[in-house]
Amino acid sequence: MTNHWVDLKNTDCALIIGSNAAENHPISFKWLTQAREKRGAKIINVDPRFTRTSARADIYAPLRSGTDIAFIGGMMNYILQNKRYHEEYVRWYTNATFIVKDTYGFDDGIFSGYDPEKRKYDGAKWAFEMNEDGTYMKDMTMEDPRCVLQIMKKHYERYDIELVCRITGTPKNKYMEVIEAYAATGAPDKVGTIMYAMGTTQHTVGTENVRSYAILQLLLGNIGRAGGGVNALRGESNVQGSTDWALLYHILPGYLNTPEAKKHPDYATYNAVETPKTGYWVNKPKFLSSLLKCYWMEDDPAKSYDYLPKRIDGKNYAHIAMFEDMYKGIIKGMIIWGSNPIVGGPNANKEQKALANLEWLVAIDLWQTETSEFWSYKALERPTDKDEYDIKPPEEIKTDVYFLPACGSYEKEGSVSNSGRWMQFRWKAADPVGESKADLEIVHKLALKIKELYAGSSRVEDEPITRLTWEYGHGDHPDIDIIAREINGFTVVDGKPGPQVANFTKLMDDGTTACGNWIYSGVYPADTGNPDVDYLARRRINTDDQVDPNYPPIGSYSQWSWCWPVNRRIIYNRCSSTPEGVPWDPNRASIWWAGEEWKGNDIPDFGKTTDPNGPGGRNAFIMRPELVGCMYSKCNEGPLPEHYEPWESPIKNLLNNQDLNPAVTVFEPDKQGTTDKYPIIGTTYRVSEHWQSGIMTRTQPWLAELMPNCFVEMSEELAKDRDIKNGSEVIISTTRGDIKALACVTKRFKPFLIDGNYVHQVGVLWHFGFNGYAPGEPANRLTPHVGDANTTIPEYKAWLCDVRRA
Amino acid sequence: MARMTNLYDVSKCTACRGCQVACKDWNQLPAVIEPFTGNYQTHESTNGDTYTIVKFMEGEDPVDGIYWNFLKYQCMHCSDPACMSVCPQGAYSKTSWGATFHDPDKCIGCQYCTYACPFEIPKYRKREDKITKCTLCVDRVEEGLTPACARTCPTGALTFGNRDELLQVAEERVKFLRANGFPRATIYGKLELGGLNKLYVLTDTPDKFELPIDPKVPGQITFWQDWIQPYFGWLIPVALAGSAFSFVTTRILANKNGDHTEGGHE
Amino acid sequence: MKVTRRQFLKVTGATVASFAVIDLGFDMTATASEVQGMRTKGVKPLPTICPFCGAGCGLVVFSKEGAPADGPQLLSVQGDPDNPINRGGACSKGSALMNIREIYSPETGEQEINPERRTKPLFREGGTTKWVEKDWDWMFEEIANRFKQTRDEYFEHKDENGIIVNRCEALASMGGAALDNEELQLIAKLSRALGMTYIEHQARI
Repeated sequence: MTNHWVDLKNTDCALIIGSNAAENHPISFKWLTQAREKRGAKIINVDPRFTRTSARADIYAPLRSGTDIAFIGGMMNYILQNKRYHEEYVRWYTNATFIVKDTYGFDDGIFSGYDPEKRKYDGAKWAFEMNEDGTYMKDMTMEDPRCVLQIMKKHYERYDIELVCRITGTPKNKYMEVIEAYAATGAPDKVGTIMYAMGTTQHTVGTENVRSYAILQLLLGNIGRAGGGVNALRGESNVQGSTDWALLYHILPGYLNTPEAKKHPDYATYNAVETPKTGYWVNKPKFLSSLLKCYWMEDDPAKSYDYLPKRIDGKNYAHIAMFEDMYKGIIKGMIIWGSNPIVGGPNANKEQKALANLEWLVAIDLWQTETSEFWSYKALERPTDKDEYDIKPPEEIKTDVYFLPACGSYEKEGSVSNSGRWMQFRWKAADPVGESKADLEIVHKLALKIKELYAGSSRVEDEPITRLTWEYGHGDHPDIDIIAREINGFTVVDGKPGPQVANFTKLMDDGTTACGNWIYSGVYPADTGNPDVDYLARRRINTDDQVDPNYPPIGSYSQWSWCWPVNRRIIYNRCSSTPEGVPWDPNRASIWWAGEEWKGNDIPDFGKTTDPNGPGGRNAFIMRPELVGCMYSKCNEGPLPEHYEPWESPIKNLLNNQDLNPAVTVFEPDKQGTTDKYPIIGTTYRVSEHWQSGIMTRTQPWLAELMPNCFVEMSEELAKDRDIKNGSEVIISTTRGDIKALACVTKRFKPFLIDGNYVHQVGVLWHFGFNGYAPGEPANRLTPHVGDANTTIPEYKAWLCDVRRA
Repeated sequence: MARMTNLYDVSKCTACRGCQVACKDWNQLPAVIEPFTGNYQTHESTNGDTYTIVKFMEGEDPVDGIYWNFLKYQCMHCSDPACMSVCPQGAYSKTSWGATFHDPDKCIGCQYCTYACPFEIPKYRKREDKITKCTLCVDRVEEGLTPACARTCPTGALTFGNRDELLQVAEERVKFLRANGFPRATIYGKLELGGLNKLYVLTDTPDKFELPIDPKVPGQITFWQDWIQPYFGWLIPVALAGSAFSFVTTRILANKNGDHTEGGHE
Repeated sequence: MKVTRRQFLKVTGATVASFAVIDLGFDMTATASEVQGMRTKGVKPLPTICPFCGAGCGLVVFSKEGAPADGPQLLSVQGDPDNPINRGGACSKGSALMNIREIYSPETGEQEINPERRTKPLFREGGTTKWVEKDWDWMFEEIANRFKQTRDEYFEHKDENGIIVNRCEALASMGGAALDNEELQLIAKLSRALGMTYIEHQARI
């Protein structure tokens, strides 16, 4: 989230798209309800089916799964054509004024620079014109036909209302209601928020879906302002933290790219290639140096850089690719920290089969996950004989499996970071059950044991382990404050931890500071000997103080816990004020120019003393090399979002002749379903009462009571057509497999009128597996191994299937 | 003590069912897992280990389109409760602030109250051979705390307080809703059965929420409570012991042999 | 056994002594006044954050001081009234949090440890059909050796171009989105030191 949960109360209009916020993030409706009560805010919900969110929305508009860009593109077209955008904001805080080189082009769904063989673009073709002094060429009138605003106008003029509705299946009157209500937030004193979740991202165009929201928000002047933002509602308690800590192949903690062998063979080359010339990221070498010092404190960063694993250049290691490689036998051993891929992973049949190719598997969880028992007879059962991936019985699966019982979240202590980037502490409230242990203790003891096995080795290839700094106190359980101090960073004195650094502005690139995650630097700024006070994640002061009588507080709660970066609650908040530094709306003022410095209800995301009328005074996006918000930017499939159909779609693309996103990798071409056998659109989703793969909730009787079985929601029309009764057993099938579920026949799902024909869509809950009080079959046995062109996040949300009586 | 009550505003409820679970947490109730039957609702009505449920009702209006109504359903804590009138053991009482309290120590599990109740709320718990129902968290309220359900409600759909004050809030809210897209919005519980100790703000007529528009104590129950029970209350234990002549006792026996507590809506 | 009897005391005239919250050294203003009403001795309220979605709602775990380590300890888990995000609110998942550790038996109504929790390390040998209980020392020894063997067998110090790559593509790590940040700090550090390139978690799926 650019903003945070409490801030939802400040909005004038919430566009909930690709999210079922009322069900999956119920507390959001605490604040939206307040916004509605106190500000008369409107709530809009766009979703293929009518959900509990739709039930509480002012406007509900259905759309067919996978057509967000068409939907948003049509909104942008309307806003651009009718000049409903926030003009001053767009002029000063976005790259609408930038002139694009004439090498940019777009023709029938393909941008310039495309290589159809490699399915890749040369993004250099989309570059900006530069002035001789190295600055960007701009047209502040935004009338030059090659300026970004004009290019966007041209690009989206094809997205007219009629065509969009033919693609999305949205009734025109509903679509117009949505556009009118949301376009109203383009007024300078109005603010709208976009709330999205996996309904947006889990598509072959997931990244561009999000970008289309970001562009819309920039056009309407809704970023960096209280009540605005592009807000990803994150689904796990610490998926924000685990992303920040980069348990991901492509980044290191704090969003530094992981090195690739040829591109970054050594430390100096990495810094040269990765460090931009402008924007705050010019400090990147300091963050990398400090990270390396944190890992290998006694070595010079130029040397310890070599210890970091280097990827094979350009190779994809993302979840789908990882399981494809496991399927091929490349991966031999795996450790799973609380995850359940044979329920939660796409194409779960294939992922289950892939696990059987491992020599060994370590699974750590509170519960017996289905994944930890992938080898069992329970895992072998299927509703029909169809077995696309040759699942074997236990006797033929040679994998050794180690299951380690973890303790629960309140049986240990530590912090988690929520969607709004607040790092909140959890105290230990009960003893671990049985012999279960905190993951902290497990990783600690494992690391010590591995170090012990390598102790005495003088082989250069063992240095990453033998030289690894691992000093977390005595005894089995590491000292959490030592770890927290390391996360914050400190000065290194004689190869040992010295005084804490105040925050990341004090980090150095010469090996004199160490820091485990620079974006969290500032959370443990001093070591006074009182850890309850020193570790700011533990703060519990819940007043929302007024700093200036003219500007009421906005719900920042700055002394409650701590938030990255540097306790800033709303990022890009320079945009909350006019170019001259006056809040667009005094009742929702984030920061303002007080004559000599910026003051505010939040920490300025800007130079504290940078005069808004002086040099750089309007460079509101300090993290970007362009120093403005980028509506036109570089993604793998182009500089502007364009609509493409899902990999499995019931129709041809009506906007261009490229059905599939041209930059997407297709892993299993032979598994593409077609409408002759699979005429129905399938999607997966969650309910309020269960969580993710369900292993944390199916094992809880109170929650199993609330949602006892896996069901598939479908329209009354489809049920009638297939002679299916409400509550009866049905089989859903795709080219990847089939599952049994109970039918939930409902008025809340309606067939879509797509380009003159009715198309049905069904939705399956993906929480179920064979264990727990509420067992059921995993919906992901249906979903494909195809993903987004940038992130490879799987296409869980739009695929083709068939449904019949069991 | 002034009359205290819950106000439940359906227009703010997202049916997250925090209330349903918080009730189990505070009242130490085990789960009752029943299979999915095609509706998100867990049980047709309350049961011996489930004091409150959220009902889900969907429909389609020719003008307004689809609606999906949610309703938290539990004991209404009537001002003149039929359960209390009919109980042969005097297990029911009213607290000074309006809760209808059921004392399990006095209960003999006859279930007469279940059939007397216009909302069919009191339910039989076989494990202990007792009737159970929502207590309005009397143990919390007496100590100055709010009931567990109201305390947990994330959106503020459920609040707790002085009935007169909440009635005013409800009236304001209904006025607002009527002017903002819900012309049939209404209060429920203000006048029904002489005023309930649970107030509802509804966005539509009560039947759209499966609430009886004009709840009544069943006729034969009135006869029973006015005539038989005061003079022949001793008959009930006898009837339970074997004789099965009356409509009431037959149903009681049928139900007592069942597992939990069906009986009620089909 | 249920940890406490919150069962209704007689409504009229009940006088119950108030018990002070144990001083934890931090602010739990709203909770403190609440504990007084719980009519139970030795209530220990500790703040936590909900382990489910990314909202980060505060919850308070009310436990019984001095309850045996190997049995039920909890009175209730409820929304944290001091937390500005939820101000005491909790949805069904948050309200059910007690169940992660303890449940009430449907048969007896008694409070017990959730039988679905795993309490001992388990090992399944390839080709067999069941789990065998093992102790932690055996597990750490065994797993550390598997890591070492696999790493040593498949480790690449330099690639075909002579670039130092220090990677092992036969190892993979998955998960972490429900862990604590401090845990992530150690896992991130260890995974990279082992040369892992296949490191993925729930953000990707």
